[in-house]
Amino acid sequence: MPEPLLRVENLRVEFKTDDGLVQAVNDVSFDLFPGETLGIVGESGSGKSVTNLAIMGLVPRPPGRVVAGRALYHGKDLLQLPERELSDLRGKKIAMIFQDPMTALNPFLTIAEQLTEVTQLHLGYSHQQAISHAITMLEKVGIPGAAQRLWDYPHQFSGGMQQRVMIAMALSCKPDILIADEPTTALDVTIQAQILELLRNLQTELNMSVILITHDLGVVAQVCHRVIVMYAGRIVEEATANSLFADPRHPYTLGLMQSAPRLDHARAERLHAIEGQPPDMTQLPAGCAFAPRCPFAVEESWHQQPPLAGRPGGGRLACFVDITKAPRKAAR
Amino acid sequence: MAHVETKPETQAARSDLPPADRYASLLEEARKLHGVSHMQDAWRRLRRNWAAMASLAFLVLMSVAAVLTPLVPLQSPILQDLENRQFLPPNASSRTLQLTSDGETKTLTQLLAEFRQEIERLEQDARTASPEERVKIQEEIDARYAVEHPYQKFWHQPDWLAWRLTDLRIILFGDWCLPSLCGADALGRDLLARLFWGGRVSLVVGVVATLVSLLIGVSYGATAGFLGGWVDDVMMRIVDVLYSVPFLFVVIFLITILTEETIKTEYLEPYGIDQIMIFYVVIGAIYWLTMARVVRGQVISLKNEQFVDAARVIGAGSFRIIFRHLIPNVMGIVIVYLTLTIPAVMLFESFLSFLGLGISPPDVSWGLLVNEGIQVITPIKIYWWLVLFPSLTLTLTLFALNFFGDGLRDALDPKMKNR
Amino acid sequence: MLWYLVKRIIWMAGTLWVVFTLTWFLMRAVPGGPFDAEKKIPEEIRRNIEARYKLDQPLHVQYLDNLAHVIRLDFGPSFKLLDYPVNRVIAEGFPVSASLGVFAMIFALTLGLTAGVASAIGRRTAYDYGFMALATVGVAVPNFVLASLAIVLFVFYLGWFPAAGWGTLRQIALPAICLGAPFAGYIARLTRTGMLEVLGQDYIRTAYAKGLRHRRVIVRHALRGAILPVVSYLGPAVAAILTGSIVIERIFALPGLGIHFIEAATQRDYTLAMGMVLVYTFLLFVMNTLVDLSYGLIDPRVKLK
Repeated sequence: MPEPLLRVENLRVEFKTDDGLVQAVNDVSFDLFPGETLGIVGESGSGKSVTNLAIMGLVPRPPGRVVAGRALYHGKDLLQLPERELSDLRGKKIAMIFQDPMTALNPFLTIAEQLTEVTQLHLGYSHQQAISHAITMLEKVGIPGAAQRLWDYPHQFSGGMQQRVMIAMALSCKPDILIADEPTTALDVTIQAQILELLRNLQTELNMSVILITHDLGVVAQVCHRVIVMYAGRIVEEATANSLFADPRHPYTLGLMQSAPRLDHARAERLHAIEGQPPDMTQLPAGCAFAPRCPFAVEESWHQQPPLAGRPGGGRLACFVDITKAPRKAAR
Repeated sequence: MAHVETKPETQAARSDLPPADRYASLLEEARKLHGVSHMQDAWRRLRRNWAAMASLAFLVLMSVAAVLTPLVPLQSPILQDLENRQFLPPNASSRTLQLTSDGETKTLTQLLAEFRQEIERLEQDARTASPEERVKIQEEIDARYAVEHPYQKFWHQPDWLAWRLTDLRIILFGDWCLPSLCGADALGRDLLARLFWGGRVSLVVGVVATLVSLLIGVSYGATAGFLGGWVDDVMMRIVDVLYSVPFLFVVIFLITILTEETIKTEYLEPYGIDQIMIFYVVIGAIYWLTMARVVRGQVISLKNEQFVDAARVIGAGSFRIIFRHLIPNVMGIVIVYLTLTIPAVMLFESFLSFLGLGISPPDVSWGLLVNEGIQVITPIKIYWWLVLFPSLTLTLTLFALNFFGDGLRDALDPKMKNR
Repeated sequence: MLWYLVKRIIWMAGTLWVVFTLTWFLMRAVPGGPFDAEKKIPEEIRRNIEARYKLDQPLHVQYLDNLAHVIRLDFGPSFKLLDYPVNRVIAEGFPVSASLGVFAMIFALTLGLTAGVASAIGRRTAYDYGFMALATVGVAVPNFVLASLAIVLFVFYLGWFPAAGWGTLRQIALPAICLGAPFAGYIARLTRTGMLEVLGQDYIRTAYAKGLRHRRVIVRHALRGAILPVVSYLGPAVAAILTGSIVIERIFALPGLGIHFIEAATQRDYTLAMGMVLVYTFLLFVMNTLVDLSYGLIDPRVKLK
């Protein structure tokens, strides 16, 4: 096993809201290895985005607060790093792209202004150098006429092109780690495939690690090596992509897969929606947060938090039940 | 899933159920939690905002004071006393309601008794007189009430309500009245009484003129928004143009012409239009513009809202949609804007009165009082009470209105919370 | 852009014409108004007026003749001031009012923007609460109250500023501050809200994710968006400053346009009043156009039509 590039340990993030304290991220640990693409899957509110914002030191405060945990990168704990040192890493070693490129790009500044400030800041480029580097980056992410388009404003680009600009901006300093927070969710399906393809190519080219946050298992299947499934702020299952898809072990993972439409399956097969609503994060149950929606839940699930332990077939799993053997309770 | 942790006994009961039923009961419970309407929710948020609540309390107090002013044992706001009381500083020596004429000083109750005797004498005459004379005498009685009644000497044209309240006051307090706690002005008039009576005028102008602007603005804006299309275009264009007219100047110009002596006496007064009324209309005519825009915007966005479609789909008619769905939803923003217009209007009134173009003596308003205070400032002597007290009451009221309006806006617009 | 300006000018001409026509007919049509033969006015002025307004001609001739004069920026003789054309009153008063307004605006913008940004950044700190309480006071206190209290305190009591006069910076300072204070308060609140709104935007998170320092994020990425509400408020603010300057000029006895306007109104000097209304309409229109233009400059998404 190679040395992990980033090691997150027992991360815990809380949010103060009007309705009470929310445990947005609860005891999350994982490793990110060099050159791999790690998928983090979960529905909205599962804590997948907050986990990564915490690593970047970008949890909005207030109302959010990192309560416990470590995020080790080259021996340094990112969570303890002074703001000054952390901001030296941000954009240079660890970069991030966001879900909606429309709102993630500053509408008041030209693309040139937004692209050049990163390299001028982190790499000490002169204005001239920064401009030519920006053009190279734009060409690399496939923007035609990059030299002219550099002087356009974000609203003059299409959604897909905006996301390419975001990627160019994030990769300007050749970071070790790219955190992509739902990079394709806001885009058309055809554009989605192009962006994912681009990300995959650039990853091999720059040999970086990517954390890909998504709620879309299709996206995971296309690009990820390893997958973490999160539910209600906790990791419920972790495995290599192949193992996870071939043999889902957590009832929630199974539910996700059954609710995703697949073209390669016979039409007669029904889609199974996961019953019920995502949990109320202010009042999580004492036991497994998924228990109220779980067709496999046993008495224990209601009272006790299932530990995240070894998973048959490799990886980790937090469930009391072996769903390959347990009977499925009658769903309504 | 909401109360699994907090209610152990229900949880215990529940765990006997199969998960599906258990979940159904949980959903049921969750559904009950959602009954709180928008308005209740807003009120709950508003109550937590102590600044807004303090302002509200202050404003309620102010309004009650304004309505009940004649009941408060105040001195006369119009009686002058140049010899003894000119620029009298604030003091606590007690006073009685009295009037000195022809070197003879009489209290209000004495004057009232005399007046009543007089009237009784006339009524006596009327009983023995011929029908024609009786009519004449009755006319004289009415005339005396309108001119010679002691109230007319102590207060400037009291209205019906003020008259009754003053009766009650005499019963309660007799001739006793509050000392000149705020001092007296250049003509020896009691400032405290003038503040109370001025507040009455200022508040009424604020409320009435705002209602006028509300009426115009809401109907204009709602019409434009609801009809849409070219009607909307034209109507909003007109508003745009009006926006670029410096209204204040036009208004001052209008007031100048309308208060010209001949116009006033020949054309307006016969129809019962006095200066204050001109005022209401003119101010209302300025402040409707923003209201119209706000309401139109709200109506348009609501028109496209899904719940209106939903209402239409289930067969609700236009009328029902307007009254059940649109109006309650526009209400919020209208109320907010209302609370913010009232201080603007009051400010404008005091501004015009300050310039001598608004309320004119013997009526009083706060703006007028501030102006009177400033007029007598000289480098040698400052009658601080004449500046301080009117400024303070005016400012505090405007302050409270602004605070309350802000609080209301935050409460009705939860997006703004945490700000 | 050019088309936009042309359109604005056409609108302005239209508005001015409407205002002129309305006030003109009001003056003429109202019996007992300024042109009533019964009016007692000094002989010389009567002669001036009769010559200028061609009172012996039919009404439409008078109107057109008048309009022609006004288009040539000739507002005619004053009603009350002997041998003193309205143009001269305006020419003398304008520089005073303009410099008062400009200084007040500069003061309001500097203080308001600084306080607003500081409040937004230090949200829920003592600064924030202090500034916002002050801002609310600034907004709620009528400027004539503020001005009179300022005179009592700074002129008579402390003697820091001269009581009257016009010309030096020391003489302009107090009136300009009193005039600008409510706007400073309002601008501070707008800036704070705008800033908080912008700081919650995704692109600010992007800027931090790029590794930019706090100061740079605020100055370069957040400020532009945050001042947009302030810019759109400048139009109404200019109108309100024009209004407010009347009071301030009166209290500080400054020889500006406003004081002439009030005199015109209370003395029923109709020609002067009408000239003023037209000048103010023009000013307001120009300012609004400038505001629109700068809005387009700040926000590249705005297209002027």
